[in-house]
Amino acid sequence: MHHPTPPKWADRFLCWYCRTDLLEEIQGDAYELYERQCKSKGKFRADLAFGWNVLRFFRWSNLKRRTSPYRPAMMYKNYFQVFKRNLLRQKAYAALNIFGLAIGLACFVLISLYIRDEMSFDRMHTKSDRIFRMHEILESEGVGERSASLPFPVAEALQVDFPDQVEQYVRFFNFQSPALAMSTIDHEKEFYESRAFFTDSTFFDVFDFNLITGSKATALDHTNSVIITQSMAKKYFGDTNPMGKYLVFQGEHNLLVTGVLEDVPQSTHFQFDFLISFSTLTHYYGTSWPGWYWNPCWTYLLLRNPSDAPVLEAKMPAFIRKYFPEEIINDVTLTLFPLADIHLQSNHDYEIQPNGSMSTLYIFGCVAFFVVLIAGINFINLSTARAIKRAKEVGMRKTLGSYKGQLITQFLFESVAVCALAAVVAVGIVIAALPFFNTFAEKDIPFSTLLDPFFVAVLILLPLVVGIFAGLYPAFVLSSFQPITALKSASSGEKGLMFRKVLVVVQFSLSIILLVGTGISMDQLMMLQKNDTGFQQENVIMIQTLRTPVAQTFEAIKAEFKSNKNVLEVTAVEDVLGAKHQVGNYSFDVMEKTRPIPRLNVRHDFLKTFDIPLVAGRDYSEEIYTDDSLALLVNEQLVKQMGWTNETAIGKSFNGRLNKQIVGVVKDFNFASRHQPIKPLVIDLNLNPRAFNLFIKYMAVRVSPDDMNSTISFLESKWEEQYPGWPFEYFFLDSSLESLYKAESKLSKITIIFSALSILVACLGLFGLSTHTVEQRKKEMSIRKVLGSSDAEIFLLFTKRFFVLILIAIVIAFPLAYVLMKQWLSTFAYQVDIDFVIFVLVGFAALGIAFATIAFQAWKATRTNPATVLKND
Amino acid sequence: MKGEYLGELEELILLTVGILYKQAYGVAVMDEVERQTGRSLNISAVHAVLTRLEDKGLVSSKLGDPTNERGGRRKRIFLLTATGKRAIEEANALRNQLFNQIPKVALQFSI
Repeated sequence: MHHPTPPKWADRFLCWYCRTDLLEEIQGDAYELYERQCKSKGKFRADLAFGWNVLRFFRWSNLKRRTSPYRPAMMYKNYFQVFKRNLLRQKAYAALNIFGLAIGLACFVLISLYIRDEMSFDRMHTKSDRIFRMHEILESEGVGERSASLPFPVAEALQVDFPDQVEQYVRFFNFQSPALAMSTIDHEKEFYESRAFFTDSTFFDVFDFNLITGSKATALDHTNSVIITQSMAKKYFGDTNPMGKYLVFQGEHNLLVTGVLEDVPQSTHFQFDFLISFSTLTHYYGTSWPGWYWNPCWTYLLLRNPSDAPVLEAKMPAFIRKYFPEEIINDVTLTLFPLADIHLQSNHDYEIQPNGSMSTLYIFGCVAFFVVLIAGINFINLSTARAIKRAKEVGMRKTLGSYKGQLITQFLFESVAVCALAAVVAVGIVIAALPFFNTFAEKDIPFSTLLDPFFVAVLILLPLVVGIFAGLYPAFVLSSFQPITALKSASSGEKGLMFRKVLVVVQFSLSIILLVGTGISMDQLMMLQKNDTGFQQENVIMIQTLRTPVAQTFEAIKAEFKSNKNVLEVTAVEDVLGAKHQVGNYSFDVMEKTRPIPRLNVRHDFLKTFDIPLVAGRDYSEEIYTDDSLALLVNEQLVKQMGWTNETAIGKSFNGRLNKQIVGVVKDFNFASRHQPIKPLVIDLNLNPRAFNLFIKYMAVRVSPDDMNSTISFLESKWEEQYPGWPFEYFFLDSSLESLYKAESKLSKITIIFSALSILVACLGLFGLSTHTVEQRKKEMSIRKVLGSSDAEIFLLFTKRFFVLILIAIVIAFPLAYVLMKQWLSTFAYQVDIDFVIFVLVGFAALGIAFATIAFQAWKATRTNPATVLKND
Repeated sequence: MKGEYLGELEELILLTVGILYKQAYGVAVMDEVERQTGRSLNISAVHAVLTRLEDKGLVSSKLGDPTNERGGRRKRIFLLTATGKRAIEEANALRNQLFNQIPKVALQFSI
């Protein structure tokens, strides 16, 4: 008898979703109705009704359940137990795994702490989004200065002219002096202070520094007032209350302490210890304040609105034309720089203190990411390799009724648990390492920063992500094993081998890139610091003289100094040669207008002291009295820019007067840091005693290297004889110049440490993997030995496969490292040639380290007695 | 409580299972309800109620013998349990008790 059949799709759908214990009756009922309706209403209607019924049966109570009702909590207890046992049974692996990941996490957290700290600069002020610093760019054809400071009257004029935008201003000024003398009334305590500034009484209207005693409103209102920080109060006044006491400024001027300030936090772009009321400067300038050319005042504006900045900037060209001196109005640009960006992004001339840099942060960010990636890969590699050992357990669990989902949960649980342990260890490492890291990175990061939501999130999410990734492979591969095969043979062996190989290659590529990067950045640093700046740096003693009585008696003290046979030359110079310089406006030959050009004011014997060769003309001479005003020395770069030759340059007139002539051309030397190429320079003899008030900041004394200590004490005794009450402050030029490349040296120090750690972590991983391989192939090796393999052959067999991986990593990493470093170097004016020796060294280092890691395991493999391994089979 | 309360449809189907004694399975219950009350139910609804009644312990079930009809599928035959019987009785008693308490006068309608 022929039966009409219901539509296949509906029937299949029903079979798919319906619980097996309900399927028979439901399907039976549906069929019965179908048959009945076929007879009464025809096949088409019956088909529709059948479909409809199938849909109606699709309800929760009829659906198949993937898992049977079990108690997850109970299972977790079991997972935890198994996890604990596994961990304890394989202590070495567990330690490798946890420790490796913990190092990676700790590195990541430390670097993040550093980066976060750098990013947080100057944000503690409530008005920080409205505070801007104004910069003056004074450049003609790319030569001149990009100054972080402004002329005296700019701030006030801005507030008067643009009251709608400028709410308040505050200036800082320190005579552009590297340090100023400060002492107690009784001269008991005398120091040179580098962090003393004159500042407007509006200081506290703009910034939110914490005044402990004194009144924010009036502390800086009166002339001769000074606010000092807590540590200075301690330094000068000990435990007595400093309020109402006097400090002597520059040995001649009493300042009343009107406030004590909490020490300035590290995270500001400039630090200060003394704030002297701006009106005190009337003592120095009387009624004739400096005008619109000299630009020594760091000027901060509090705008009414952050969005006023572009509005104000747009008004600057007219402002400049209105006020600035005729000869520079075409070369000046005034720009506003947001306070919070200064530390990382402002890299102008005359910054108050050297700033950080964004690109360094990017580099650190990359390093952090690399290290954590390497550690993560390690972890994934080791866990997947070890997972094979669990095949039997999986088989057993499946036989006893585990669902696939349960196994997946179990493996994920285990790997997340290990990661959580690693996170705990990482926190321990960070807490232990932070004090060292702080000294080393010159930071002041407190432990409490770790409680910041960002780091809590990092420490929770990162292990979770790594754990899930590491757990995914074993979870899915192992849980899909057929119980019978899993139980039967232990060596389902080399599953996922390719995957692990790729990861090892990635890991080592990253480490090699880090190593090469470190090598090249060290090379670059060494090149920058190397003593081929074109002038004598060694054995040059710089003595601070700005605003000291040296002005009146320079020749006398020079003669006194030179009476010692170990004192070779004595001169005076405007700034630290090789680090800083000033800018002056000059015109040459037939030029109609002056243009800003780097300048150094000097005294006689400048070239001799610094051993700078002349290429044409003559040096300044003490016999020619007019040299002070009518003669000029320039460098080759200036000659080149003017289109002259060294010989024709001699006798060219300057500043529009025919009797003012260039008398000599000096060989180019790095008068500024080697971050920039050598620019044009004029060396201007300035014999005016008043120059020591402003232009000439140092005496430079070149001494012979013999018997240095007695020479210095000789200089000191002569100084104290001549200038009682003035501290003898000196430093060696070469050590001072080293600080020019502090940023680079910090960068390379930090990258060295972290790339070393990354290699360590990668090796931990390699060690784990090789141990695992040796264990896996123990039987194979034993059989090989029995059949006559030599120890060497077995040793090679093991080391070969890892060697190949490292070689591939090298091949991948070298070009990448080359390109990356080329890019980094292109930010420097002086670039070291990328030395391929570094690549070779790094290559051998990587192979060597990897070899050392594997060799032990491989050696162990050759030493095992085949009988002990094979007897159990 | 879900376990104790007997819904209107549940009561109806429980009664029908009793009526169909030994013949009560999905389609038969559906047909009988329609014949007796005129309510046409979807077969899936009948199944859902029957399953619920079984969960509550008011009916029990066993699979019948396969026949040629229904594509060879067996029927699940439902039978009243003692609890089921008591539930019907209690429902009935409650109804009668309530009905009897209605004052006569309230039921007197003159047309």
